[in-house]
Amino acid sequence: MTVAEKQPVPAAISVRNLDFYYGANHALKNISIDFPQGQVTGMIGPSGCGKSTLLRVLNRMYDLYPGQRATGEVIFDGCNILGPKVNLNVLRARVGMVFQKPTPFPMSIYDNIAFGVRLHERLDRAAMDARVEDVLRRVALWPEVRDRLHDSASALSGGQQQRLCIARTIATRPEVVLLDEPTSALDPVSTARIEELLDELKTDFTIAIVTHNLQQAARCADQVAFFYMGEVVEVDSADRMFTAPRENRTQDYITGRFG
Amino acid sequence: MAGRDNVTQAATAPCASGRWQGNGLSDMRRRMVDRVATGLCWAATVLVLLMLFSILFVLVRNGVGGLRWITFVHVTLPPGQGGGLANAIAGSLIQTGLAVLIGAPVGLLVGIYLAEFTATDGRFINMVRFISDLLLSAPSILVGLFIYMIVVVPTGHFSGIAGALALSMLVVPVVVRTTEDMLRLVPLSMREAAIALGAPRWRVILFVCLRAARDGVATGILLALARVSGETAPLLFTSLGNMNWSVSPAAPMASLPVTIYQYAGAAYEDWTALAWTGALLITAGILMINITVRLGLGRNRK
Repeated sequence: MTVAEKQPVPAAISVRNLDFYYGANHALKNISIDFPQGQVTGMIGPSGCGKSTLLRVLNRMYDLYPGQRATGEVIFDGCNILGPKVNLNVLRARVGMVFQKPTPFPMSIYDNIAFGVRLHERLDRAAMDARVEDVLRRVALWPEVRDRLHDSASALSGGQQQRLCIARTIATRPEVVLLDEPTSALDPVSTARIEELLDELKTDFTIAIVTHNLQQAARCADQVAFFYMGEVVEVDSADRMFTAPRENRTQDYITGRFG
Repeated sequence: MAGRDNVTQAATAPCASGRWQGNGLSDMRRRMVDRVATGLCWAATVLVLLMLFSILFVLVRNGVGGLRWITFVHVTLPPGQGGGLANAIAGSLIQTGLAVLIGAPVGLLVGIYLAEFTATDGRFINMVRFISDLLLSAPSILVGLFIYMIVVVPTGHFSGIAGALALSMLVVPVVVRTTEDMLRLVPLSMREAAIALGAPRWRVILFVCLRAARDGVATGILLALARVSGETAPLLFTSLGNMNWSVSPAAPMASLPVTIYQYAGAAYEDWTALAWTGALLITAGILMINITVRLGLGRNRK
């Protein structure tokens, strides 16, 4: 079954004619891609092809660095988020991000989650406790940490830390979750747990995941986009992409001929 | 069996022929250079330790006799009348305390600026850093003269607050440097993670970066305290010294270093004895601060 045969899914984010520059370096070239609501979009391609760059456009992370700029349109909830009047803090709460390496804050497990929530909501103690428990259950971390919520988060293992970071991201109740190679620093068991987690999370969130692991993209993604040299070569359902890619470059990449 | 014997023999053959031999001459030379270098390192270490311990030894031998109750509760008196160091001890505590209270917040803010606001004009940042480093190595007597010109002369009299201000100018660059260095150790990914949650800049700096760098920043403040607690020159033209009990920052104020400076060169035996005791007290205080820092860092490393 291909994407075309399915019920059309509305796009949570639509990227149109996006160009991105690191100073003079033209990193993304006229990109257009939709991220269908409630689906996992996997982004694959060789290093330096622009996958992570696109991810960092979707929550305007690039804004932190002078010399990085984007032109084109990124439509999210009816609004071009590249526009000047976007409230970046609100945007980032609505489009959450999980990074390659786990980044627990230097505080307790509980406070790691509460930190993000407190930025955007005023919850009383009981509601905050409930929120923390809820997101920790969703990332299947609750049984492991329920007795040490107020211990430092840095004492957790790498896989636990990454699940904590995912919990922290979904605690602000975003609509979209961006994951930048979230399992590349983790062992196979932790990786499998995070992949299972993605499957559950997509019922509530639109997910975009950058990965170098093609099997991971095949396992987790509904839609896969192949990036090469700053361009989107091909976007298709995971099934088709890995069995019958239309482009030769995609074929070469997924069969391991380059990259 | 025969095969195994062969193997054993091959493995235990002395590795002294062919390429195992190496270049005999350079090998001997290397060993000699190694011995000489190691010997020099040892000698230098022993020399430094010898100096340190001889200072400590003389300090304790000459100063320990003055560690009596009266030294801590009685003010300085004219020669031959006994007396203690109470006014100097109180003055030192007040002035170094005020200096840190004034200097540490300024240093913290500048350090945060240098480490966190790197996106702003780089030339200005570099200039601020350069000036702060200059201040770090500025002769402290110049700092004293500067405060003399801008505080003592306009107000018309020496004062404890002028002394504290002079010391605070030495606190600032130390705190700037350690704060910046410690904040730079906080990985960029942690800042990005906080920003990606929608946190405004000030919250990222205050609740994530500073929190991660907390121990290092506190260490810097303590080291600054240790640095200024032995300073004499900045106090000579600012707080001057005071023979009487006075804890008013508006009046001239005694301090241990200045009292040592005045007493050590005096011809009266009881004064020189008190100077030794004062020196011992400062040294013990600085040692205690350093031990606190060490313990703090040790706990952090766990």
